[in-house]
Formats: sequence, structure tokens, C-alpha cells
Amino acid sequence: MKLKKIFILTMAILLSVLLSGCSSAALQTNSWSGLSADTEKAYLANGSFVYALYLSNGSQAWQYPAEKADAKESFFATPVLTEDGQLLIASAGANHSLVSLNPENGTSNWVFDDAEGTWIASPLAIGEYIYAPNTDGKIYVLDSNGNFLWAKAIGGALWAQPVSDGEIIYITSLDHHLYALDPGRKEVLWDVELTGAAPGSAALDTDGNLYIGSFGSVLSAIDTQSHKILWEAPLDGWVWDAPSLDGTTLYVGDLEGSFHSIDTADGSENWAPIKPNGPITGSPLITNDLIVIGTESGTAYAIDQDGSIVWQQAIGGRLYTAPAQSGELILFSPMETDSVLVALDFDGRQVWQFTPAK
Amino acid sequence: MWDTYIIIPMTNVLLWIYESTELIGFNFGIAIILFTILIRAITWPLTAQQLKGTQGMQELQKDKEWLSIQKKNKNDKEKLAQEQMRIYKERGINPFGSCLPTLIQFPVIIGLYQSIIRSLAATPLSLLNMSRSLYSFLDVSKVIPLNSKFLWMDLGRPESLEVFGFALPTLAVVVVITSYIQSKLMTPPSNPGDQSAAMGNMMSIYMPFLMGYFAMTFASGLALYFITSNLLGIAQYAMMGKANWSNLIPGRK
Repeated sequence: MKLKKIFILTMAILLSVLLSGCSSAALQTNSWSGLSADTEKAYLANGSFVYALYLSNGSQAWQYPAEKADAKESFFATPVLTEDGQLLIASAGANHSLVSLNPENGTSNWVFDDAEGTWIASPLAIGEYIYAPNTDGKIYVLDSNGNFLWAKAIGGALWAQPVSDGEIIYITSLDHHLYALDPGRKEVLWDVELTGAAPGSAALDTDGNLYIGSFGSVLSAIDTQSHKILWEAPLDGWVWDAPSLDGTTLYVGDLEGSFHSIDTADGSENWAPIKPNGPITGSPLITNDLIVIGTESGTAYAIDQDGSIVWQQAIGGRLYTAPAQSGELILFSPMETDSVLVALDFDGRQVWQFTPAK
Repeated sequence: MWDTYIIIPMTNVLLWIYESTELIGFNFGIAIILFTILIRAITWPLTAQQLKGTQGMQELQKDKEWLSIQKKNKNDKEKLAQEQMRIYKERGINPFGSCLPTLIQFPVIIGLYQSIIRSLAATPLSLLNMSRSLYSFLDVSKVIPLNSKFLWMDLGRPESLEVFGFALPTLAVVVVITSYIQSKLMTPPSNPGDQSAAMGNMMSIYMPFLMGYFAMTFASGLALYFITSNLLGIAQYAMMGKANWSNLIPGRK
């Protein structure tokens, strides 16, 4: 009798552990880090904690939460610095919290946690308004004190930070559409169907054209005046993040590991795609006449405008996060390594790295 | 290994079935139901073997030699167990036959759970992992993200239905009931001293609650699999005339 009970108990525990293991792993690691920087500090949303690090030497200025991690919080959206000096962070955890921090010391100003879904996208702060797209398909509009003003159902899960020309908010969605929202009228003015889900933001040029990569393996150019697709440039694989715009040239990487330079006029390739050593998810960083990218294989590349690789540096881990720049430093946040932030100089030499205390 | 031979094939089959539900507006719930039917069809030989074993156990209960050893060794449990094992061996009966299909479900359950979570890909990393799992013949870019809504459920999340302000785990209750019915229908009648049959009986009580716990705790897509699988099992036994309906009534053997 005892043996039977042990057998049944063992089977139950085994299955419970296996299933629980799957779900907890999925909850704890549901994205890669979000990275931004100002002139003094880098801000890294890295799961349970958001870290602020001094750019001068990579030492930690503060972390949020200051003490113990909250199991219901999971920060991955790129932290956003607002004009009035707030640092907005968003949680993909069960709390659904959008938090305003003081970037000086990491103390909380306010928390908004009334959204139905989690936050994967970063909010867009314009003046005194905060536009926060949520995975529940709504965009939530708050004032700069965190007070809820209104929300609008857009459609599909919203994973990307919106862009704006100052009047209209442009939102990409996983439901294969781009939406133009008029915040004054609180209405979606128009939408355009894309060739696939768009998890990344659009790039907006000064002529009012939007450029969006999607899982349809194309880069689409959309005229915001006519609401029409101007051209579609075929790529080799899914595009995860926003293309980067430099004058009349777009730079974009895809999941097949191709890096493209595309003419905004007609979508033609300026040079044959480069093949670094792995898939590219993050937006390219344009800095100091270089285009800097990271690959899933953990290598940082600097490419010049003619498509030649200037340097490459093995960082380790997986570089899914878009690199960021501040001053003379290029920042990478590798995944699946102890060091969660690595700073390089413009020649690709490592300046410092940051490993959180365990 | 697990990923290559279990998760990735399961994920691709699920996605392929999902793609095929275009006519009804892409429905992941229907895809899970069709997938369960497919799993049931693949595991048909196991079920048939189990039914054969169950029938053997039923016949054994009326066998003179079997009854005789029960009587003869009623005070010596060790000896009784030895004699029972001898008869099982001689007649090619697997006393654990009734547990086997349930145990076989375990890797399927784990694989399916991981495939559902991977397919629904509610987070960037899971979506990236899912994109790595796709076979080249599948072009799912047009159907991603998958529609996780089915009836009142979000198949990627645990289910509950709000009734008078209370969140009731309705699917979990249905899972417990259907699991219990299925277990009971395939449990052979037993004598008081038959340890193997007692174990089968015990499983038929514990397993439904275990399944119910999983249905309540994990993604509701898994509960949908449990219910579909149980109903198919019940229908299969009934159609084959092997269902032991008298077992459903407490006190009757």
C-alpha cells in the first residue's frame, strides 16, 4: 500500500515539477533587456530589476526595486526618459504596472496598474501626455502625474513604442496593421494593412513617410498623407525592430541574419546585404559615421555607410537588445551571460562591463 | 533532444492544423481538438492493448484458479502476490495495463503544454523561440500571432468563469468528471485482496484530481486537450462495447 502511494505521489510531483518548470521559466524570462541612456547614466530593464549605472565606470547607481524583487514584476521595455525628468519603466509581469521613477535615485513617483494586459512596449511621452500601448490592444493615455485620462482600443497586441509627428500617433500592431491615432479626437483616423505582424516601431522621416518592418519579411514605406503603401522591399527574414533612418537611407536587420541598407526613395538596396554571424533583432545604432548592430551569436559589428565591416567584437551571450549610445560609449546588453551590460568605445574595445550582484 | 523530437514536431503540427482552420477564421481551440484526435489515433494501438488487458483482468475475476489462490492465500499477502504474478505471466496479462494509457499521456501532456505556450507566444522571447521551431514548409507569418481566444477562454492562460462574482474553474471541474468517468469505465472489477486492481482503483480516484489541478493551474489549452481526450476515450470504449458502466455506480462491482 505504501509503495502505491509513493508511486502515485512521485508521478504527480514529477509532472507538476515539469509543468511548473515550463511555466515559471516562461514567466521569468519573457523578453530581452530594454536599454537607454542619458549623458550620465545607462538604464537597463533586466527582468526583476531596473538598474541605473554610471557611464563613467559601469558602477551601479541604484536599482528598482531597491531591495527584494517582486515576483509579479518583469521589466523588459526600454526605459523612457521624459522631458520633465521622469524615467518610465513598464512591467510585463502580473502586476501590469507602469512606473515613473526619479532617475536620480530610483525612487517611485507614481504607479499605474489598471491596464488589462502586460506592458511589452515602451510608452511615448510627448509634453505632458504619456501614450502607453498595451498587450491588451489598447493605448492608455496618462498625464505626467500618472493620472489616467483615456484609453482607446486599437486592435491586436501592441508591442512597439508609438512614433509621432507631434499631431498624430502612429502605432504598429501584431494584428498586421499600422494605425494612425488622433489624440485630440481620440479616434483612429486610418489604418494600413501590413504583410505580417509588426512587433517593432515605425521609423518616421521628415517628409511624413513611415517605414515599418514586419514578419512578412518586407520593409514597407507608407505615405501618411495618402495612407498608401509607397513601396515594399523584400528582405530575407522576419524584421523584429524598427529600421534606423539616416538621411535617405534605412538600415535594417532580419532574423535570417542579413543586414540591409535601403534607399527611402524606392526601397532599392544600396549594397548587397551583409551577412554577419547571426540573426539580428535590435534596431541598428547610427553613430559617429558607423552603423552598429548586435547579433544573436553575441558579436557586435560596426559597419560603414558603404557596407564594409569596420570592426567586430565578440561580446558573448545573445545580443537581442538594440545597442544604445551615450557620449563616447556604445552599450550592449547581452542575454544569457553574467554581464548584463557591456560598454565599448568607438573602436569596439571593451571599456567596462556590469554584472549584477547575486 | 526533447525539443527536437517532441516540442518542435508538436508545435509544427499544431500550427499546421491552425493554418488549416482558415475557413472558420483561424481557431486555436479547434486546432487543439483536432490535434487531440490525431494523438488519439496515433495511440490507438496502446488503447487497444489496454482494452485487451482490461478484458483479461475481467475474465480473470471469474477464473477458478484465480479464485482459488485468493482463498488459499488470503492470510499470506506475499504468497498471494507471487501467485497472482505467476498467473499474470502465464496468461500474458499486464496488471498495469489500465494505468499505461494515463502514464503514456504524461510526455504528451508536457509536450503539448510546451507546444501550446510556444505556439501562442505571448512574449517576445517565446515568439522568437517559436520562429526557430518552424519547419520550412510552414509559412505562418500570415497567421502570427495566433488567435488564443476560444469560447470564453484565453487558451494561453488558466481558465475561470465568473458566476455571481466568483471565479469558478469550470474546465477543471469538467476535466475531473470526464477523467473519473474514463478511468472508471476502463477499470476491471476486483476482489478485495487484489493489490494490482486496488492500485488501478486508486489511480482512478487520484488521477482525475491531479488532472483537474493541472487544468486549473496551467494554460486552458491543456484543459481543452484533457477534456477532448477523455471524451474521445469514453466514446471509444463505448463504441467497442468495452466500457464497464456499472463501475460508475458507487458500491457496485
